[in-house]
Amino acid sequence: MITLTTHTADSHNIGIIAFDRPGKRNALTPEMLDRLVDLAPQAAGDHDAIVLTGEGRVFCAGFDLALCQTTPDGDIMRKLLTGLSNSCRTLRNINKPVVIAAHGAAIAGGCALLGGADIVVSNTAAKLGYPVTKIGVSPAVSAPFLGVSISRGACREKLLLPELFSGKHAHRIGLVHELTQEPEDVIERALSIAANLASKPHAAYAATKQWISKLEGSEQQNHAKLGLETSLALTGGPEEQRLLGALTF
Amino acid sequence: MPKLALLDITGNLATLTLNRADAHNAMSIDMLADAHACMDTLESLDNQPSVLVITGAGRSFCAGMDLKEVIIDTDASIPRQLLESLAKLTHRIRMFPAVTVGRINGAAIGGGCGLSTVCDISITHADAKLGFPEVDLGLCPAVVAPWLVRKIGAGKARQVLLTGGLISGTRAYELGIVTQVVETRDDLDEAVNKATASLLSGGPDALGATKALLNTLDGSNDLDILLEGAALSASVLATDDAQNRLKSRQK
Repeated sequence: MITLTTHTADSHNIGIIAFDRPGKRNALTPEMLDRLVDLAPQAAGDHDAIVLTGEGRVFCAGFDLALCQTTPDGDIMRKLLTGLSNSCRTLRNINKPVVIAAHGAAIAGGCALLGGADIVVSNTAAKLGYPVTKIGVSPAVSAPFLGVSISRGACREKLLLPELFSGKHAHRIGLVHELTQEPEDVIERALSIAANLASKPHAAYAATKQWISKLEGSEQQNHAKLGLETSLALTGGPEEQRLLGALTF
Repeated sequence: MPKLALLDITGNLATLTLNRADAHNAMSIDMLADAHACMDTLESLDNQPSVLVITGAGRSFCAGMDLKEVIIDTDASIPRQLLESLAKLTHRIRMFPAVTVGRINGAAIGGGCGLSTVCDISITHADAKLGFPEVDLGLCPAVVAPWLVRKIGAGKARQVLLTGGLISGTRAYELGIVTQVVETRDDLDEAVNKATASLLSGGPDALGATKALLNTLDGSNDLDILLEGAALSASVLATDDAQNRLKSRQK
């Protein structure tokens, strides 16, 4: 459900990691996130840059909620939240360029993954957001990454107001860095940005990336841990059972 | 030898001009020393100005570090001195109670763009060339990064610093690196004069107190992180890769 291919541009090898579950809008399972955590550093070792994307019409619609419903005690939700936090941290700790091509939609867990990228590309009409309080889930797991990337005011609004917003709006608040008109053009733009970043001197790139992470504090594992614990504390609780259980597919 | 940084004080308005036009005001150790001397003078005044304009002589604002001084032939301590001096200068400018207005008259590159970033208000024109091309040269913009992260947030700073290259004044305004952009170089003085006049109409104590609070809130007081950045930047600069790139660029 997740693939790695190599794309060569200007003599740079770019590893394209793709969620490959297009029939389910790349809805995330625990296995997919665990695989991402293993695959991304491996792929970074063999390539000059990484592009993360999704097959089909959208990047990622978030957690597979139908799957979550099969364990009302929150077992699968817990695995997903943990995998998501690990994924963001893993992507962020890769010393090579990491670009996310978020075409069409990046919702909930899919939107949270954007926090791991150096550069995020999306399209104007894409749908993004963290509307997870509606199902009794706290998006706190995203806050340590989102809160340092965009302004704290915008982060507060986006995590508390369970609404979707457009790629254009995401670009305005800095969640998305580069925008295309058409969703089909997102991957091409992401690959060209990755090739440009891959052409930079590696040691300088890595040192600069680590320095920014230090400045923004995302290397502070305790924040990432605290965010995850806040989300986990609610999982399997009565509110989530009631709201998530009421969803029909 | 003419001074490489000039200070003019007229009433409550001070102007610090980088004065090395033939080298696009590139920052040498000597120029930074002269700029520090200007800050010494400002800090020692009984009646301190409430607005400080920082600008460059000639057509450029500041082309960044003088690359001739960071190629290590004999003395590896020179680049480090230069970076530490820049780190301390940016900190002094931010700590000085006067509101600083960057009059970004032309190219503001690398450390020069950092100097623009540290200003409370910075105004440039649409065609000015700004940016942080350090990574392209194998360097790490670690001294200016804390200022850029504070100014535009870490997410955008990540994009700007990792992408390198140069951008227009217009794009710098969109990213928040400068706070105002005018159409042409000829429009710059009007905009700067308007901003300084507006600032001068405010109470100096209120301005100073507000700036001090903002400095506390965003961590600007932290000199140690800048010195750590200078050390990091110097260590990346001393690598063979960076030195070879700098030398081939000089040829």
